[in-house]
Amino acid sequence: MKRTTLLSAGTLLASMMASGAFADTICGANTGEAATGAPIKVGGIHGNAAPGDFSSSTTAANAYFDCVNANGGINGRPIQYLVENDQWNPELAAQAAAKLLKDENVVAIVGNGSFVEMAVNAPTYKEQNIMAMASACAVSECFESSNIVSTNQGPLSSTVGAAQYMVEELAAQSIVCIGLAIPNVGNWSCGAMEEYMTSKGLTGASVLLNPASPDVNSSLLEAVASGSDTILVNLPAGLAIAFMKAAEEQGMVDSYKWASSTPLYDQSVPSAVGSAWDGKMYINAELTPWDKGGPDATNWLAVLDAHAPDAPRDTFSQSGFLSAKFFVDTLLKMDPAQLDDRAAVTTAIKAISGYTSDLMCGPYYVGEADRHMPNHAGTMVVVKNGGFETVRDCYEYDSPYFAPIFENEKALGLR
Amino acid sequence: MKVTGLLAAFAVIAVIGLLPTILGGQWIGIFISTTCFAFAAMGAGFMYSRLGMVSLAQVALMGLGGWVTLRLNHATDLPFEVNLLGGAVATAVLGMLLALPALRMRGLYLALVTLMVAGGLEVVFTAFQFPNGGAGFWGVGTSFSAPMRRPTIAPDDANYLRYCLAVLVLGFLLIEAHRRSAPGRAWALIRRSEAAALASGVNVTFYKTWAFGLSGLLAGAGGGLLAASLGLLDAATFRASESVLLFALVIVGGARFWYGAILTAFLYRVAPGLLNTWGVDADLALVFFGAALLHAVMTAPDGIAGQINDLLGKVRKEQTRDRA
Repeated sequence: MKRTTLLSAGTLLASMMASGAFADTICGANTGEAATGAPIKVGGIHGNAAPGDFSSSTTAANAYFDCVNANGGINGRPIQYLVENDQWNPELAAQAAAKLLKDENVVAIVGNGSFVEMAVNAPTYKEQNIMAMASACAVSECFESSNIVSTNQGPLSSTVGAAQYMVEELAAQSIVCIGLAIPNVGNWSCGAMEEYMTSKGLTGASVLLNPASPDVNSSLLEAVASGSDTILVNLPAGLAIAFMKAAEEQGMVDSYKWASSTPLYDQSVPSAVGSAWDGKMYINAELTPWDKGGPDATNWLAVLDAHAPDAPRDTFSQSGFLSAKFFVDTLLKMDPAQLDDRAAVTTAIKAISGYTSDLMCGPYYVGEADRHMPNHAGTMVVVKNGGFETVRDCYEYDSPYFAPIFENEKALGLR
Repeated sequence: MKVTGLLAAFAVIAVIGLLPTILGGQWIGIFISTTCFAFAAMGAGFMYSRLGMVSLAQVALMGLGGWVTLRLNHATDLPFEVNLLGGAVATAVLGMLLALPALRMRGLYLALVTLMVAGGLEVVFTAFQFPNGGAGFWGVGTSFSAPMRRPTIAPDDANYLRYCLAVLVLGFLLIEAHRRSAPGRAWALIRRSEAAALASGVNVTFYKTWAFGLSGLLAGAGGGLLAASLGLLDAATFRASESVLLFALVIVGGARFWYGAILTAFLYRVAPGLLNTWGVDADLALVFFGAALLHAVMTAPDGIAGQINDLLGKVRKEQTRDRA
């Protein structure tokens, strides 16, 4: 008996050590052998310049593709992931898409994260019959276009979700949304929050910052002048932290209720904002909290540890990982002879329906539609003890905006 | 002379015809942008070289042309050419209006007035954004951008580059036509001495205003062409600092020669494009531009175009000497 116990303890220890050594990544066919065939070209575009860095989505997608390539690739063929930076500039965004689509002939676009790229390139994607499986989408075109589907929710859903929580749980009566004056971003997402508030007989207002020279102090004063009881920060993480610092310096942390859309759900945020915000800042997480566990959540962290150890662990990273995973799952199911055929890949992506992951509250699907927003349920967390604490688990958002999306889901038999 | 003219025309047609066929998709995009900004460079260059006036609002005026072109596109069903002309003329009119209070100023003060105009336009563009098919005067919707029509003869990028280049040639010809006629002579006199020009019966106010209008017309056309290239515009493209940068590059490129505008636009858009392609941070271009400006100010007052012209002059002289 003693020997059996010792033996099982030894086996357990050995398996734990082994799992530590191999970091337990599960990628694609998971053969453990490097892919050596002709590469399959896939593109990705992110924005990294002032006012924010959205590259964590393509970084996570890249890490997953590296892992897939080290594990048999797609039927022995590696994925060659070509990433471009649009630097938040429409001209560069158009040039990046032209390079990937026309010069490199990529079969799909995966992991995109930008404020600008999708607005400029949505017509090009449609014209070229290519699908963009984006991950950090922020403009309306991302969600209202036939050839873009994003794994993240975007600022509209995340802002409405945060406002909904503040109204239902913390009795917010008037909310002011702090957004960026970027076409189809700030006015679109903050505007939807205002509509939500009006639909509940409450009041909403918006303050939009100039992304080129954001002045957090004046926007804070504008927010105060709106007379709202709740301030909802809908900005990229760096700018949101600057805004919170300004509020802290003015002694406003305790005078208002505070909420934020998803960009503040980043592992580095609690220490960056400090203890003054402990229990004060409620943040909507578009994907499930990273400490929730589950196979994909664990695998995401393991893949990053193995292939991009310095990359940020945030929502956009989860989203980039998931887009890449869904893409690889789709390619693995395709006829190997059609992997270089853009039209065939597009058809396969559009046929995605009912994929699930513990990183998302609902199913992931694409379908043939003029708008896509598979992810429209999220989680609320609060900054607590140097980390985050979940205050409301997966919940669907309540806004008339989602009506056509629910119709699509009914047609696909998902609702 | 006729043979040289014919050769030049042939070379222009060859460039317009062949350039898009040898470029890849990304570089076609870069060259379209380059061509659009060449209009602004051309206007700034001609104002500086013909009248000694510094305009630090050229890129902002492009934004205005783009704004009007987009607005007309979304409000009407008129063909692209009409909208483009509308954008260019509206910018010319604004240019002339702005010129009126600025006419009593010269040098630094005039430059500062134009810079303030650029700053003002930047605020308007940022606050109200560019039309995307929405309702109301500003035409800004919060949802999907409505399509921006391109010329019917140039729906794809390659042909659109040819189209932009052809319009650019028209722009150069327009300036050349001015240079060779009454306005050119009047401008030359004004540049020498306003008092002498007045004494000779030149209507200084009219011709200075006309120059502002012409430069606005060109910038507006560039903005309209850029709008159709991308389908939408963003305020960040037309910041006041961009106008200052473009003017600095006009000095580097060379304002006295027509190809100076092309060199300026190359520096402004092709140089950062090259750095991006090589995987180097495109902001490094600003460092090179600073060094190039110092070089131009100290040793080459006529810019790179002036240096090329000097070089060609030397070659010609040597050839003549050899023949003799």
